[in-house]
Amino acid sequence: MFLDFVEGPLWVVACVVFIAGALWRIVGIVRFGRRPDISIPRASALVGAIKGQFLHFVPHGGFSFRTRYHLIAGYMFHLGLFVLLVYAAPHVLFLKENVVGFDWVALPRWGFILSAEFAFAGLILLWIRRISDPVMIKISDWDDHVASWLTFITMLTGCLALQESHDSLRAIHMLFVDLWLIYFPFSRLMHAVTFVFSRGYTGAFFGRRGVVP
Amino acid sequence: MSVSAAVEIFTNNIDASAAAYLDACVHCGQCAQACLFFEATGDVKYTPVWKLEPMRRVYKRHMAPLSGIKKALGLVPDEISEDMLKEWEELLYDSCTLCGRCTIVCPMGIDIAGLVRKSREAMVAAGLVPEGLVGAAERVLAIGSPLGIKPETLAKIVGEQAEEVGIPIDLDKVGADYMIILSAMEVLNFYEVIGALARIFKQAGITWTISTEAYEATNVGIQMGDKKVAATLVQRIVDAAEKLQVKYVVSPECGHAYSALNWEGPNLVGKSYNFKVIHILELLDQLVREGRIKTKSERDHRRVTFHDPCQIVRRGGIVQEPRNLLNMVSDNFIEMENCGTANICCGGGGGVSSNSRAEELRIKSFISKKRQLDAVGPEALVTACGNCRNVLEEALDEFEMDLPVLGLTELVAEYLDD
Amino acid sequence: MVESMDKRLTFKRLACGAFVSVLLVWVLSAGLTGSFDLQNEAYAQTGGAVPGKTLGNKSDADIWRQMRQGQSFNLSGTAIGTPVLIQSPGEEWRSLRNGPLSYWGGLLMLVSLIACIGFFLVYGRIKIEGGRSGKNIPRFSQAERWSHWFAASLFILLSVTGLFVMFGRYAISPIIGKEAWAVVASACLEAHNLLGPLFVVALVILLIIYMKDNVWQKGDLSWVFKGAFFSDPPPPSWKYNLAEKSWYWLLFFAGLAISGSGLVLDFPWIAERVQQLQLAHLIHGGAAVVLIAASLGHIYLGTIGVEGALEGMTQGTVDENWADEHHGWWAKQVMGSTETDIDGSEQVAARDEMPAE
Repeated sequence: MFLDFVEGPLWVVACVVFIAGALWRIVGIVRFGRRPDISIPRASALVGAIKGQFLHFVPHGGFSFRTRYHLIAGYMFHLGLFVLLVYAAPHVLFLKENVVGFDWVALPRWGFILSAEFAFAGLILLWIRRISDPVMIKISDWDDHVASWLTFITMLTGCLALQESHDSLRAIHMLFVDLWLIYFPFSRLMHAVTFVFSRGYTGAFFGRRGVVP
Repeated sequence: MSVSAAVEIFTNNIDASAAAYLDACVHCGQCAQACLFFEATGDVKYTPVWKLEPMRRVYKRHMAPLSGIKKALGLVPDEISEDMLKEWEELLYDSCTLCGRCTIVCPMGIDIAGLVRKSREAMVAAGLVPEGLVGAAERVLAIGSPLGIKPETLAKIVGEQAEEVGIPIDLDKVGADYMIILSAMEVLNFYEVIGALARIFKQAGITWTISTEAYEATNVGIQMGDKKVAATLVQRIVDAAEKLQVKYVVSPECGHAYSALNWEGPNLVGKSYNFKVIHILELLDQLVREGRIKTKSERDHRRVTFHDPCQIVRRGGIVQEPRNLLNMVSDNFIEMENCGTANICCGGGGGVSSNSRAEELRIKSFISKKRQLDAVGPEALVTACGNCRNVLEEALDEFEMDLPVLGLTELVAEYLDD
Repeated sequence: MVESMDKRLTFKRLACGAFVSVLLVWVLSAGLTGSFDLQNEAYAQTGGAVPGKTLGNKSDADIWRQMRQGQSFNLSGTAIGTPVLIQSPGEEWRSLRNGPLSYWGGLLMLVSLIACIGFFLVYGRIKIEGGRSGKNIPRFSQAERWSHWFAASLFILLSVTGLFVMFGRYAISPIIGKEAWAVVASACLEAHNLLGPLFVVALVILLIIYMKDNVWQKGDLSWVFKGAFFSDPPPPSWKYNLAEKSWYWLLFFAGLAISGSGLVLDFPWIAERVQQLQLAHLIHGGAAVVLIAASLGHIYLGTIGVEGALEGMTQGTVDENWADEHHGWWAKQVMGSTETDIDGSEQVAARDEMPAE
């Protein structure tokens, strides 16, 4: 019953809010527009924008040591999450039935579990950095914490349902998935999309100047 | 002061890139690791992204897409207050040199330095600008130089230099190919550069001049965030260049002057120039490549290293040229750690050196640079920015380090084979 | 005035002491006489009566006996092979787990909780006597803080899920019903199994990072003899007093035991025989209740119990007066080795040299 609701109407609403909200926000950002730059470029802004997308995957320029913790935890979380999101057998099945209509090779269960271990460790490490580094304490706001916790709870409820033998556990997981999707466009979770624009604009800025640091 | 004027400028300054930046920040704190002021003090308020807090608040409250829904639910940040802006005056002016090192460490690629620049415009609107910068702006508007150098003083100094090197230098010469502009710091402290240029250009066979109406390269309007002042100062140079019908305006060894004239200038005055802007390092490198200037076979044996001026290298794109030139005149050029686009700021850029209130913090923040220098152990430090040079000399003095700071153009001239 | 306050305080202490003593006597006698329900089930099944309609059939009884003695049977006609049909020692394990382990374990945690509350009622929050000096000194490096919170967060998650699995059948099942309990149990077990290995990693990192300062030093015992927590002001100690060091070594031994046994339970193919799993389980449960009971005290003293303690683990620095009052010798060491005002750049430089960041 409840499962039908969270996988039915609420799931649809969540998807609509997620897609429409995210689009609205992206369009809203782009629509602010930019005044044309009439200075003479030394090199291509476009190439810079593309370079920028890749360069910022790793902090470069001699910071590696001081940023190592964040780098490792960040990648553990994001890679772990992507792998289990896309390649865990239950997710493949769900996406096939509800979103894309076809399936693909899922990870064996040990791979699923391993990626979950990484995702959990990464997320926990990122959040404890937020509460135990003076810089992070200073700059964090409620949205950072809500987003972290909502993601954590969504992952945890997924973990609780790992036995795949109780509909109620599956329903709780789905409920949080729905909530996560609804929260996404209103929150800092949007960084998953806006980073492309942010890196792009900076890459273009530097691209014009002939150096993309 | 006026909070509403600041809010208005903040909102006006939100364009697609600023919005994307403010939306993409995940508060990861990496930028703190890149900031020399944070490194030197350990004080969390110097975290670069924290300096954008007023702008972020205005954006999230008034501008961000979907903020309407959040506002109805009471989930937007409070309006910025007078006290907040007063507190941020120090953060935006004293503890940011616009060096942009934070930008390159940011995983989201947010140009924090660019947003600090935009935030300063709101501070100008609110009337919260450090005295030192206001004074500099007044002097440059009234006299023509932020250090109060009058045209007559300039003429005298140029004359002395012409005599020194035995090459006549024409002021206000119509039809010369190149017009040289100088930073006030050069005219006042490092005037040997004028003689050096005379010698180099003579050998290269270049016709050049200096205008007595626009000899100042620095742009305090850019530093304080006053677009009007900035545009006025750029316009002066444009007018003088057009009047003298030059083909090129040479941007001197001064960091933000290059940004101001070459990158921001056309946008400030609203039209493309009918002359080209070329940086002195680009020009020298080009002359060397074309074989128009020759240096002695005997090179400098001192262990030298190069301090990259942020606005010329990281944010100016002139990375390789100074290295080519240095290798030409020195046989013992050692790079310091993080050299090139990731080099650490001298601590006095972005108007900080004109702001006497910031002096203590600026000297303290030299510790990062000192660490870099200690690792290399150079016998001379070369740079290509009059302001960096002055700031470095002061700080070296303060830390009792015996290290000469040289200008690159002068060093090239020293080894000129003429 | 002061005198009357002292008297009131003494009375409060006496009252609390009496209450705790009565409580202790009661629960101890209850445990010895086994008057609690949770043991009855276990006794019921050790009496030899075996469920099944086999009474009156002699050969059945023989076969049952053989089964109960753990003899394997040749069922080669089936897919099963030659299994051991009834694992009799399993019954012993079950009665241990559901009997004394649950009972004494639960009691231990309860006593710990009551002790914390009692301590709070008697002594209240221990304030910084001299007030805040406004000057901070570094106490925990970032590596120390991060490893602490990593282990702590997993400890909490595992404690909660573990306690559910251990006590849910008594505490939750009767309330929400057996079917709902089966759901909760499944959920907790899955989370416990998934997060467990992470805790092992976190614990090992934590133990390595904290070992250096937790080696016993001269003076540790004098901290105890001078009254430990109960003296006012607290006696001087090194970076960690003996209680904190004991907590470390408890974590070291019980933590490694819980980790090793947990890994065996999480990856049961490691074990060769089922008895090994049963043993691992008893070790796991035993270590868990001890650690949880001790952690309550640790959490109490680190948060509400002592003013100025928590910030050491969040910001990394503590107030100079706090350091002086609670860890006097350490404070002198730290303040002696640096200038009173710690330079930020020194901290950053020190952090750069730290390998585990």
